[in-house]
Amino acid sequence: MNVDELVRDSLRELADEQTSAGPGFADRVLVVRRRRRTRRIASVAAATAAVVAIGVAVPLLDSGKEDVRPADVVQKSKDVAHPDQSPPRDLISAGNTVLAAYYVPRTVKHSANRAERVRDYWLLDQKTEKYVKTTKWSYVAVAPGMKTAAVLERNLPASRIGMLDLATGKVARWIEVDHDVAGLSFSRDGLKLVATTYGGNPDQLVKTEGSDFWDQQQPSTRTGFYVLDTVSGQGSWSEVKLTSDPNDPMGDSFINARQDFALSPDGRHVWAGNPMGDIGKQFYDLSGAEVEVPANQKHLEWYVDAWQSPSGRLVAGGFAGKKWKTSSWVVDARTGRQTEVHGQQLLAWVDDSSLIAWDIAPNGKNEFHQRLVKVTIGSDKTVPLSGFRKGNDGDAGRWEPVFAER
Amino acid sequence: MDAEAQDRFREFVENRSSALLRTAVLLSGGDRHAAEDLLQNALVKAADRWHRIDEPEAYVRQILYRQQISRWRLKWRRRELTVAEPPETGASPDAAPDAELRLLMRGALARLTARQRMVLVLRYFEDLPEADVARVLGCSVGTVRSTTHRSLARLRALAPELAALGPAEIESQPSRDFSPVEVRP
Repeated sequence: MNVDELVRDSLRELADEQTSAGPGFADRVLVVRRRRRTRRIASVAAATAAVVAIGVAVPLLDSGKEDVRPADVVQKSKDVAHPDQSPPRDLISAGNTVLAAYYVPRTVKHSANRAERVRDYWLLDQKTEKYVKTTKWSYVAVAPGMKTAAVLERNLPASRIGMLDLATGKVARWIEVDHDVAGLSFSRDGLKLVATTYGGNPDQLVKTEGSDFWDQQQPSTRTGFYVLDTVSGQGSWSEVKLTSDPNDPMGDSFINARQDFALSPDGRHVWAGNPMGDIGKQFYDLSGAEVEVPANQKHLEWYVDAWQSPSGRLVAGGFAGKKWKTSSWVVDARTGRQTEVHGQQLLAWVDDSSLIAWDIAPNGKNEFHQRLVKVTIGSDKTVPLSGFRKGNDGDAGRWEPVFAER
Repeated sequence: MDAEAQDRFREFVENRSSALLRTAVLLSGGDRHAAEDLLQNALVKAADRWHRIDEPEAYVRQILYRQQISRWRLKWRRRELTVAEPPETGASPDAAPDAELRLLMRGALARLTARQRMVLVLRYFEDLPEADVARVLGCSVGTVRSTTHRSLARLRALAPELAALGPAEIESQPSRDFSPVEVRP
């Protein structure tokens, strides 16, 4: 026998031993694809997403005092739906979770191979209960209580953070930063603001030779994060370096161009997604030292916007699709036990048993033809809250929700 | 991707994923988990361009090879250099039966660099002519030949029992090109 015959036989033998990838492999691939495609824009929503807490302390910017409103004195509201509106014109809410704003991304071309993904925001005018367009801000995070939003001006990354008074529409205070910021996220109690710092614009797009698509620029220029006190504007910056080659698309340090940090749901840590890492996320203490994932948050998925339920007992999970065509998992934070709930993508908790989600129509065939719905654990009923979005993932004109607790 | 395209994609994966997975396992040196990741990534890319792909299988295979090159270039290089010592074996070279030789060979193949393994997979498993291997790797035919030479030599170094085997056809031909494999980004 020659050595090349043995190579051939050995390779064939090894190949023949392989069992198939299983009947659900194609669907698994499609789900991964959908997640990756939505991650690029979903990371923005993830950073500004649901802020639902039992006792929220909301800073009042004009006085510098705190408006502490325990949940038991906050009136729980009825659902307000507009199933005929997409994008919405009038207030949408479920319980105390409000569509506080939405944005529509668009691509601004700077040259043949360079562009930028910019967001135009529509903020809820709480007097008229209508959404009003603003092109002033490149990034908006709405604080729980909906009195304040943190904003960044156009041309990311920005050297100052504006604290916008949502009643007057004016910036009450500017927080100057030494390290430029491109992402913002409030803690659930509204007392802290995490600002993600970048060396360049994370929303910059490039077109590689021979490609028809705009793609995010790699490697990511993320440098670290600030944890700021929203009342005083004081805080510290922590550098976060990537541990291995950030150019490696398969490496565990590969992150999206925009991969924002946020406070963990319990406010004790800062965390961010780590798409190619073994566990998909990384946690840090507030001074920037990496720590192990806390046991009660190991099921958190950074690309599932809803995160943890108000009590912390449940975690919103990824796409399930077992019992129904479109459904998601809700995971017990302690035991990991999964329950299937209606909804294609879980966006925000309304209370410990219901959530706002994107979902397609019951007999819908297009996975991108989605509307906001309210879903309830253990119930077959879904309540439409908005009209259906048009176009496919990433198409111009598709609106992305920003939720906050009223 | 509309519903019809998704159905066609599902049908393709159902029919061809077993064959593609076999190649991915070989490229990954027998690591099934890494192979599934490799194939999944390739299929995600194929799904992104589904409506513009005429020959999905050829496209997915190309992506598999390219990804493996990227992995080799960017991540695995250091790891592979650290496992370069040949294994300790005390077996008599000419006593090993075929099955044992195949096991030895399998272990040695897993210890090759991704580039060396890929050349052997393309030549001896996919049965591609040298010119096609060169096209896949983005290098010259001479480089394919020299890499094949060196890969077989490396296998002998890793498993001395293989020394009893006759030389491969390619080993009887002189190798003129010893340049490193050039890879397109």
